[in-house]
Amino acid sequence: MIALSGTPTLATARLTLRAPQAGDWPHWRGFAMSNRARYSTGVCDEAKAWRAFCHVAGMWAMRGYGSFVFHATGSDTPLGMCGPWHPIDWPEREIGWTVWTDGAEGKGYAFEAANAARAYAFDVLGWDTAVSYIDPANARSVTLARRLGAVEDPDAAYPAHNDPTRVFRHPKGAAA
Amino acid sequence: MTPVLTPLLTTARLVLRGPEAGDWPAYLAYRRSPRSTLGTNPATGEIWMNFAAFLGHWQLRGFGRFIIVDRVSGGAIGHVGPFFPEGWQEPELTWTLWDGAREGQGIAFEAAAAARDHAFRDLGWKTAVSYIDPANTRSQALARRLGAVHERTDPGHAKPFQIWRHPLPERIA
Repeated sequence: MIALSGTPTLATARLTLRAPQAGDWPHWRGFAMSNRARYSTGVCDEAKAWRAFCHVAGMWAMRGYGSFVFHATGSDTPLGMCGPWHPIDWPEREIGWTVWTDGAEGKGYAFEAANAARAYAFDVLGWDTAVSYIDPANARSVTLARRLGAVEDPDAAYPAHNDPTRVFRHPKGAAA
Repeated sequence: MTPVLTPLLTTARLVLRGPEAGDWPAYLAYRRSPRSTLGTNPATGEIWMNFAAFLGHWQLRGFGRFIIVDRVSGGAIGHVGPFFPEGWQEPELTWTLWDGAREGQGIAFEAAAAARDHAFRDLGWKTAVSYIDPANTRSQALARRLGAVHERTDPGHAKPFQIWRHPLPERIA
């Protein structure tokens, strides 16, 4: 049996952020195979959804950091994922976010979680800067990036296979 | 942050251990070589995702495929063992050598036999299969040498694959 040891847990007013776990799979599967995934992984079949979730989990072992799954404190039901994301073909390190169900949207959860995960990347991981890569059609995500204090960086590179992409840069010390 | 508690298997010539971030360059070289059958000229990002998922499988399933390490050189030379992604009909025993120069020495047999013992003994598997490309005659020969039998050929989604079933532990010589 393998487990990740020493992964951080972050707490916000309403949420707990932690490394992904096997029990998150059904919730991730529901998200990744739904239209909600159209701006991130793309709508997946089950095989791709599984590979993508293994990628999320494996990122922690590869990089020593990764994206956090977040849930309401006191509940085990994951609501979404956010935080550091850096596949090898990303031009630079990203702060990403996904909300997994319609019901979890519009409550400020992604804002609250991403704000905490970004602070972790800057304060604990020591990142100097971070970007968020956003599909131009994803108006909700653009709004969230701006609410987080990120500003569009039209000159920044983005993953070549994600064309077109808008890049929002999080200034170090950005506080929402 | 460290992944812990992966089992370590040893054979006469090999150590089988869990995958580590440091295996990435060797895995990348293998995937870019003609030995990889997972698509020609794959993007580096695609290979990265597969390798990270290799590690992630351990975290999500509690078991996974081992890196085959040559006990003399210390080098990573392949991967082997239990593989059960979502959507697989049943848990599989797999084997892959990364470098053709290491073929023909019984390494895959030695590694696969140890990994199969682990699956039956430590993971409690009641049966095990290997899914093999109908064109991969070397792998079929290895399955046969391991005592597996060709049960049937599945038409598959994209292309057909053979299902080889391994003997139960008490039947393994």
